[in-house]
Amino acid sequence: MRPRISGFLLLLSVAVTACFTPAQAQTKGGALVYSTVAGPASLDPYMAGSLIELEVIHEIFEALVEMDENYNTRPMLASKVETSNDAKTFTFTLRKGVKFSNGQDMTSADVLASFERFAKVSTNASLLADVEKYETPDPLTFIVHLKNTNAVFVDLLKSSTYPLAILPASQKDKPARDIEVIGTGPFKLGEWQKDSHLILLRNDAYTPDESADKPDGFAGKKTAYLDSVRYNFIPEANARLAALQTRKSDVIGDLTLDLAKRLDGSPELSALKTFPYCQQYFVVHSSNGLTANPLIRQAIRESVNVDDILAASGILSQRNPSMLYSASPYYAGDMAATYYDRKNPEKAKELLKQAGYKGEKLILQTNSNYPYMRDSILVLAEQLKDSGINADVQVIDWMSNSNNLQRGTGNWNVSTTSFCSPPLLGPPQWKSTVYTFPHIEKDAVIDAAFDNLFKSADQQTRKTAWFTIEKQFLDQAYMIKVADTGSLRGYNNTRVAGLRPYFYLRFWNVWLK
Amino acid sequence: MLRGVIYRLLQAIPVIMIFAVLVFLLLQLLPGDPAVAIAGSEATPEAVDRIRQQLGLDRPLLEQLLNWFSRLAHGDFGKSLILNQSVVSAVVERLPVTLSLSFLSLLITLPAGISLGVLAAYWRNTWLDSTVMVTALLGVSMPSFWLGILSVILFSVTLGWLPPAGYSPISQGLWPWFSALIQPAIVLALFQIGFLARITRSAMLDVLDQDFIRTARAKGVDEWHTITKHAFRNTLIPVVTVTGIIISLLIGGSVVVEQVFALPGIGRLVVQGILARDYPLVQGTMLIFGFSFVLINILVDILYMLVDPRVRFG
Repeated sequence: MRPRISGFLLLLSVAVTACFTPAQAQTKGGALVYSTVAGPASLDPYMAGSLIELEVIHEIFEALVEMDENYNTRPMLASKVETSNDAKTFTFTLRKGVKFSNGQDMTSADVLASFERFAKVSTNASLLADVEKYETPDPLTFIVHLKNTNAVFVDLLKSSTYPLAILPASQKDKPARDIEVIGTGPFKLGEWQKDSHLILLRNDAYTPDESADKPDGFAGKKTAYLDSVRYNFIPEANARLAALQTRKSDVIGDLTLDLAKRLDGSPELSALKTFPYCQQYFVVHSSNGLTANPLIRQAIRESVNVDDILAASGILSQRNPSMLYSASPYYAGDMAATYYDRKNPEKAKELLKQAGYKGEKLILQTNSNYPYMRDSILVLAEQLKDSGINADVQVIDWMSNSNNLQRGTGNWNVSTTSFCSPPLLGPPQWKSTVYTFPHIEKDAVIDAAFDNLFKSADQQTRKTAWFTIEKQFLDQAYMIKVADTGSLRGYNNTRVAGLRPYFYLRFWNVWLK
Repeated sequence: MLRGVIYRLLQAIPVIMIFAVLVFLLLQLLPGDPAVAIAGSEATPEAVDRIRQQLGLDRPLLEQLLNWFSRLAHGDFGKSLILNQSVVSAVVERLPVTLSLSFLSLLITLPAGISLGVLAAYWRNTWLDSTVMVTALLGVSMPSFWLGILSVILFSVTLGWLPPAGYSPISQGLWPWFSALIQPAIVLALFQIGFLARITRSAMLDVLDQDFIRTARAKGVDEWHTITKHAFRNTLIPVVTVTGIIISLLIGGSVVVEQVFALPGIGRLVVQGILARDYPLVQGTMLIFGFSFVLINILVDILYMLVDPRVRFG
């Protein structure tokens, strides 16, 4: 009997506490200051590929569909999306009453103009390369007809980089990076002094999605409580942290693990850790010299000891064998685990023997701009040497390293980088990365599985297709997963409330205490 | 004197042209691709090619150089790839910040460097001389980014006297402008003070050993007038030369200091341009820098003529 009574009392006390503890009031007003590493070069969403631009752009603009809290697809400016049985026709019913920040109503004419401008100027214009025609039967309906079946077309539209945001039709013929900044988002552009600061003002014409009860990623019901958000561009990390410590900033971005230690013991300042953020990989050049041989690539994978690499790289990270995150419907962690953190130099030696390896030089290329990349490669080089591989490390600058990774130039075998968007967005967005970075010339298994992924309307078939792709990709060691990497931001917890970890910082539903 | 000035201006034209070609070629030698920088590291090769085509980077090098020269001849310094704005307007927007910083820094450097140099020379081989020279050596040796970070931790975080970063235009008040600039200006000046103090000391030591100084003292001229009127005036030629160099160094040094203190000046513009491989922006800015350095040198030559009659009438 006693335990029952004590259990009841506990429940009662929790209920009473919940009833009488005042909820944190969401107050409207105030100016929040956010210090970030750099400012945007342009606010044209169709040309925006960098985080610093996208962080601002997603406050101002919205798309037909957006990412939810788990980075899955959810309608935003569309209230409904219907896909035809052959997955060639997509009908978007637009949400009623949506207005641009200039007060103008958003209609299907604006959506049509936006799609047409995107196809003309965007870096990611290939997204619409398969469009046969558009239709706008009424102001709230927009129909896309594709030439070929594409079951994941709507998923591709949610892209957070180069977002297909809806702009007023008046912007249709504006050249790349030269638009008037008018969107449907909860904030609008106030002042912008390049290299110094940018101020966003609350968009009082904003029409929230009343069908939702709260924000959900980039979708859901968003409410702007703040009068303004000032982005200060401070490239030096110590100066950014000093701005937070001296109360000149309420929130700061790009905090390193080392600098975050200075927040320890401060009751007012907290670090905001964000996972998932990016994923680090060793990229293996599958069309160059030694690593064109799958046995050599597999020997490299067998040599990798993840814990040693993470200990040396000193960044916020956590183990995850998969190319996706656990919230994704395509997640296959158990399968991926069989290829992860192998730390088996004996097996590597066996594979090298089978490959007929005779001690030729294997080139590991990295850069000096990102210390975690350099340190990861240095540790990998030692692990490869333990397996009997003659590893040679080349340290160059990030621009050249990045260029070589994308183009396959520079005579490298292994390099490292992090991918942020594909793991968050899902299998369709992985496609170009899967082929581009390891320079896969042909892989019949992956080709056929991607074909199924894009053509099948059945979710289970698509899951199987992705499972096949990921298995083949990891088995052939085109890339070797290192870890999930996180992001650290700092904020003043006595001033700011409602800040939630997400890939991009969001200032809707954030308020000042 | 006018002929001399015109002659120096004419000499500057080929210098600037050679400089322009060098800047163009050196930038092309830089590894990396502006299209990749703009498209982002996760972009597809098709996306990168599309940007390269949009920006005209797929055209032959010679064609790009000739196009740039042809535009320069019409006074067009080009358009920044990342800012989508003309290079001249980008520079003009940021010029007040760099000029304010350099000016304030020069105001600190000149009196501090010259007085320390004169004092060290006058009391040569004493503890004062050693202290000044060791301090000067430290000032010259310490990298300004490190000094900047230390200064932010001390004066902004620990003492709370000055803002850690950012700029406030003078139109928004003298104190906000001054408080934003004084910390970076001192950091920038420390290197130059050390440099100027060493040069002044050495020039002063040469002069103090001259016969006319001994004569002045023998005549009974007091020490203050001997030093200020006779000795110091004769050290002005090397001091003016070094001041010209210091102005150039202050503008060049602003690249690092503006980055540390988040000042939206030309130095930060150049860093941004180099990181993004924004060729027109870096070329244009470098050319404007080069042109300013040539002008500063001409001004120094004119100052020679003013302070030294031997140059004027020679």
